[in-house]
Amino acid sequence: MKSRIIILLAALVCTAHAKLNVVTTLPDYAALAREIGGYKVDVTAMAKPTEDPHFVDARPSFIVKLRAADVLIEGGAELESGWLPPLLQTARNPKLAPGAPGLVQASDGIRLLEVPATLSRAGGDVHASGNPHFMVDPIIAKAVAAHIVTAFATADPANAAFYQANGREFGTTIDAKLQEWGRALLPYRGLQLAAYHDDWLYFARRFGFEISVFLEPKPGVPPSPAHLAAVISLIKEKHIKAILVEPFHNRKTAEKVASSTGAKVVDMAQYPEALPDTATYVQLIDVLVARVSAALKN
Amino acid sequence: MYYRKSVPIFITSILISLRLHAEEPASNEAIQKQLLEMQKSIQDIQTRHQAEIDTLKKQIEEQQEFIAALKPPAPDNLPVLPDPPPAFPTSDPALVPPAMPPASELFPTTDPSVVANSPSAPTPGLIPAPGLIGGSVGASKGSYLNISFDAIFVGAASSADDLSTLEVGDHDPQQNGFNARNVELALDGAVDPYFEGAANIVFKLDNDNESSFEVEEAFGQTTSLPFGLQMKGGQFFTPFGRSNQSHPHRWDFIDAPLVNGMMLGPDGLRGVGGQLAWVMPLPFYAQALIAVQNGQGGTAYSFRNPGDDGTFFGRPTIDRKTDGFSDLAFTPRLETSFDLTPTQTVLAGVSAAFGPNDTGDDTNTRIYGVDLFYKWKPADAEGGWPFVKWQSEAMFRRFEAGRGLDDAFPAAETFNDWGAYSQVVWGFSKGWAVGLRGDYVNNDASSITDDPSRQSRYRVSTDLTWYPSEFSKLRLQYNHDILESTDFLPDSDEDSLFLMYEISLGAHGAHNY
Repeated sequence: MKSRIIILLAALVCTAHAKLNVVTTLPDYAALAREIGGYKVDVTAMAKPTEDPHFVDARPSFIVKLRAADVLIEGGAELESGWLPPLLQTARNPKLAPGAPGLVQASDGIRLLEVPATLSRAGGDVHASGNPHFMVDPIIAKAVAAHIVTAFATADPANAAFYQANGREFGTTIDAKLQEWGRALLPYRGLQLAAYHDDWLYFARRFGFEISVFLEPKPGVPPSPAHLAAVISLIKEKHIKAILVEPFHNRKTAEKVASSTGAKVVDMAQYPEALPDTATYVQLIDVLVARVSAALKN
Repeated sequence: MYYRKSVPIFITSILISLRLHAEEPASNEAIQKQLLEMQKSIQDIQTRHQAEIDTLKKQIEEQQEFIAALKPPAPDNLPVLPDPPPAFPTSDPALVPPAMPPASELFPTTDPSVVANSPSAPTPGLIPAPGLIGGSVGASKGSYLNISFDAIFVGAASSADDLSTLEVGDHDPQQNGFNARNVELALDGAVDPYFEGAANIVFKLDNDNESSFEVEEAFGQTTSLPFGLQMKGGQFFTPFGRSNQSHPHRWDFIDAPLVNGMMLGPDGLRGVGGQLAWVMPLPFYAQALIAVQNGQGGTAYSFRNPGDDGTFFGRPTIDRKTDGFSDLAFTPRLETSFDLTPTQTVLAGVSAAFGPNDTGDDTNTRIYGVDLFYKWKPADAEGGWPFVKWQSEAMFRRFEAGRGLDDAFPAAETFNDWGAYSQVVWGFSKGWAVGLRGDYVNNDASSITDDPSRQSRYRVSTDLTWYPSEFSKLRLQYNHDILESTDFLPDSDEDSLFLMYEISLGAHGAHNY
C-alpha cells in the first residue's frame, strides 16, 4: 500500500515537472506559446487581454508564477518596463536572468518602427526602442514564434522536434492566412484611418493603410477638447471612415468624434480573447481584418 | 467620335448623289465636273480628318503621360540587412539572383524591413549571449545605469505658527510658505551578473534655505542566489510595514502618517546593515525578511538615537556604542499576498523591530506592526484608472525609558504606545484621484516628561491629486490636527492646507506593488 502511494506521488511529481512552465507578460505571447508548446506547456499571461499593457500592476501573485517559470516571454521593448523589473527582482529566478535562454525578448531581431531620433517626454510616453505594439503584424508574429521555438527547444530538448514542428505549422498557417487577409483588405489599400492610440502602426503597414489621425494628442496623453476639434476636422477633410479603439480606451470620446464626423468606431484589440471568438492569434487577426473591412465597406 | 459618325453619312451622301446623276445621263461634262468636285471635297474631308486624328493622338499621349505620373512608384526596395558574412562568401546575389517567389503567392509572407532574419530558420544568436547587459529587463537599453530625478515642492498655509511641530516627517512641509524637502536623485543598474545596485540621494532645502543632502539609500543586492533567496547590504529602508519602505514620490498624501513619523522616526527607519529575504516555495506569494542594521542615530529614531540636543523623551541620552550583536536593531517581517479576484489584490504583512535605546544603559525598544493593502482595478482600466486603494497600518511600541546619562532623570518609565492610520484613495477618472486618511497615535501619559513628542494626536486628511502624466502631479491637501493635552501641554487643534507640485525626470521608475 505504502509503495503504491509512493509510486503515485512520484508519478504526480513527474507529471507536474513534465510540463514546461511558461509565463508571458502579455496575452499575445501566451497565445503563440500555446500554439507552439501545445499540451507540453503550461502558459500563464500576466496582463489581462483587455488591460492597458503599459499599466499592469506588479501583483505579488505574478512573483509566484515567475519563480516557478522555465521560460518568460516579454516584449523587450520597454512596454512592460513599468511593472516587470520589480517582479523579476523579487522572483529571483536564475532561468530568467538577462541573457539566460529562458528569457525570450520578443522584439529581438525585429526592426521596430518609430524609433525616436531624439528622446524627450515632451513628445508624450515615447518608447526609446521604438513602437512596441508590433505583434499585430503576422510576419513579425512568425519571427516571435521562432524565438519561442528556440527557447522551448533549449529548455526542453526532449521535445525540441515537437516545438519545431508546431513552429513550422504556425508559419505555414500564417503564410496561407496572409493571402486571405491580404485579399480581404486589398480593396481598401491606401485608405487613411484614425486610432485612439498609436498602436496599429504595424497592422496598418502590413495591409497598406495609413493611420494618420490619433485621438490622443501625444502617446499616453488624454485627448483635450481642442485636440478633438482638430481631429474632427481632419477626419472630415481626409474622409476617414474608421476610428480604431481598444477595450481600455475611452470609447465615449471616440463615439463623440464618430457622431460628429460620420466615421465608425471599430472595436479592436491587440490581444487574443479581448474580443469574442479570438482565442488564438489567427482568430484574432481574422476578427481584426473582418472588422476593419466591414467598417470600410461603405 | 465625330470621325466615326461622319463616315457612314459621307458614304450615304455619295450613293444618293450617284443615283441622282444616273437619272440625268445627258451631260457628261457636268458629270465629270461633279466628279472632280466630289474628289476635291473627299480630299478636303480626308485632310481635315487626318488633322483631327493627329490632334487626338497627341491628346491621348499627353493623358497617358499624366496617368503615369499619378501612379504610385513601384514598391521601394526595402533595405535588407545582410546576414553576417561567413569566412568566405558562399553566395553572391549580385551574380546569382535569389529565387523569385512562386507566382501564386499574391501577398508577401516575409518582410526583411521588420524582421531581420528569416523566421523559418531561428538562430540561437537572436537571444543575447549571457554576459553583462546594462540595466534590468524591460528597462531602457543602451545604458549601464538608470538615472531618475524627482523633485517635490510644497506650498503650505497652516494655522500653526510653527509647522515643524505639527508635521512629523522630515520630507513633510516644515514651514508656512514654500518648501523643497525632497529633491531626489535615484540611480540603479546591474553591477555584474551577480549583483544589482541602487542609490537614492536626497537633497533638501531647510527652513533657512540651506542645502543639505542625505544618502537615503545606497545598497547592493544579489540577483542569482538559489532557493528564492536574496541578500542586500548597505544603507536601506528597514522592511517594516508598507509606508516606511516607500519613497515620498510614491505616497498618496503630502506628509507621512503620524504613526510612522512618531514611532519609526521623521526620516523613516533606515540604516546601514544587511538583509536576507526569502520567497517561500508556496503556491501563493509569501516572503520572509530579516534585516540587521546599526539602529543608531536619527534614522533609528526609537533605538540608539541620541536625539536633538542630546535628549530623548526628556532624558539626557547615553551614546551607547556597538559592543556586541545585541546592540544592533533586528527587523523580521513576513508578508503575503492574494488575488481575491482577477481585479482585486490584497497584500498583508507583520513586522517587528527590536533594539536597544539611548535613554539608559540597558533599555530596549520593541515595535510591532501590521499592515494591509487592498487594490481594485478593473480589467479594462485606461492608463491605470479607475482604481481604489485602501492602505492601513497599526503599530505598538514598548519603549523602556531609562534615567538617562548619569541617572540624571528622576525616574525610569515604560511607555506602551500605539497608533494607526487608514487611508482610501479613489482614482475616479483618468489622471484624477481623491484620498481620505485618518491618523491616530496614543502615547502613554507621563507625569514627568514634558516632551511634545509624547502628545497623543489625531489627524484627518483629505486630498485631490491631478496627474497630467505619470511623470508629474499636482496635489491639494487639507489636514485637521487635534493634539490632546498632557500634564504639561494644553490641547489644541490646527488646520493646514498644502499644495504640492512634483516632477520626475529620467528612467521610467518601475514600482513594487
